[in-house]
Amino acid sequence: MSTFDEEMMKRALRETADDFAISEGAVERILDEARDTASDESPRIRAFIQRNGRVRSTMLAAAACVVLLAVAVPLFNSEGKSPRTALQFAALPKVAKVGTHGESGVVIAGTGNLGLSGQVTATGTSLSLTSPDGKTVQNAKTSSPDGSLRVEEIGRIQLTVGGTHFQSTLTQLTDFATTDGGFVASTQSHIGTKATHSYSTGSIVLQVPERDFTMLVDQVRHAGVATSVVTSATDVTGQYVDLQARINALQVSRTQYLKIMTRTNSIGGILSVQNQLNSIQSQIEQLRAQLNLLNSETTYATLTVSLSEVGHQIVTPAHPATGVDKAWHDSLHGFAAGVEWLIRIAGPLLFALLLLAALLVLGRWTWRATERRRGGVS
Amino acid sequence: MSDAVDVDELRNWLADGYASSVRTAYLILGNRPDAEDAVQESFLRAWKFRDSLETGSSFKPWLYRVVVNTCNSKLRKEIPHRNRRRPGDDLDDVAMIEDPIGRVTLSHDVMSALKDLPTHLRIVVVLRYYADLSEHDIAIIIGRQPGTVKSRLNEARRRLALHPALQSDAPGPINVRKERQS
Repeated sequence: MSTFDEEMMKRALRETADDFAISEGAVERILDEARDTASDESPRIRAFIQRNGRVRSTMLAAAACVVLLAVAVPLFNSEGKSPRTALQFAALPKVAKVGTHGESGVVIAGTGNLGLSGQVTATGTSLSLTSPDGKTVQNAKTSSPDGSLRVEEIGRIQLTVGGTHFQSTLTQLTDFATTDGGFVASTQSHIGTKATHSYSTGSIVLQVPERDFTMLVDQVRHAGVATSVVTSATDVTGQYVDLQARINALQVSRTQYLKIMTRTNSIGGILSVQNQLNSIQSQIEQLRAQLNLLNSETTYATLTVSLSEVGHQIVTPAHPATGVDKAWHDSLHGFAAGVEWLIRIAGPLLFALLLLAALLVLGRWTWRATERRRGGVS
Repeated sequence: MSDAVDVDELRNWLADGYASSVRTAYLILGNRPDAEDAVQESFLRAWKFRDSLETGSSFKPWLYRVVVNTCNSKLRKEIPHRNRRRPGDDLDDVAMIEDPIGRVTLSHDVMSALKDLPTHLRIVVVLRYYADLSEHDIAIIIGRQPGTVKSRLNEARRRLALHPALQSDAPGPINVRKERQS
């Protein structure tokens, strides 16, 4: 086996290469080519740079759009999904005063350094919201033809009482309702014992005349330690007025048909008018039933009181109390949804990238193997 | 005005490096017209992107890098898809036809062995033993680590030493060298 002689290799390469006769005019050809390209090189390069700049800008804009969509779409969805009551309040325990009724609307006020927050999405007519310091926050006023508002009010209070006062508090709550001219719609209780290590819990649904609702809330809140007070008011004046107007219109129609009937002589005509009268009467009855239901709902306000013994852990859903709080929660939710979306698409994207990388590696390996074989053969 | 100055600069480049570049390309490609095409393309490309040459950096390795890349490109894309060689263009033909007596056997056998090397090994051999570049410069030119260059050179030397044309007991350059030494 021989060894490689570097000097011999150098000499052989030099001698072979030196035999390469440089073509005459080759340099001039290159220079001519350079001069030709020089004239239109600058615009080409500028166009290339501009095109690249445009591409870069487009890519950045597209990336920004994707990020914006990733954040905005979940945010939009989250806002669209959340249900709204007409007026929803959540207050921390020692609310000094929640809910008073005025002649012109519903006034909900809080005093002291309590966390009182709320949201209003009133549809239709009048709702008036007063902040704890007494300033009117929002006031959108309309009124029914008779000048009175029809407001459907419901509330939910969570009370914590001492173990020995559980039964007496239940009785006291019943008394509140009956004294105010209302009644107990339903009640449910579970008396805990020390032997079973269980706590007493229960709930009672009170219905009182709408004008006494605020007073009832105030009384109930002081019957124990209120851990949560939520009231909501839905203004149904528009619905009420609409029902009344439709009933009036149908009544006018019925009167007209009755007049027609008195002038009709043929049996067929009488039957036809009678059919119309029956239909109108049926519609009037239906609408009156709805009106009566609405009357009942707006006449009596409903307050659900959840009672629990001291020491019993109550799991309450976290409601974002204020607008800022809600916005913050929505923001967090939107951010989380955006991240979830990114994670969701990251899987397929990663898979595609891995597949692409594998194909590239395979292709490169094949190409190199082919090149090696070709190099070895040639 | 600036274009004229730049073309003068290109003229200087060509005066300094055209001959060595075209011969290097010739040894890599093994073909005269392809070597001239590659070097012409390399110089035009280098001149077009002359701004990418950093101030203070060495011109020679940069130019060689462009030449080697162009040769690689031709070997990958153009040459395998055509056969336009004419008699006298090929290394073997040149060695056999044009070389003077006394050098024919030496050149022919070494070139034959060189052509049997894979491209990536042939390039480092040509750059090391013809262009006389250091391993560090070769690493810059081919865009690899110096260790890679060293290992490729070792592999190339091993293959060349085992090549039948360069065996000591075979008629060829070793014998020629012995004869010349004697």
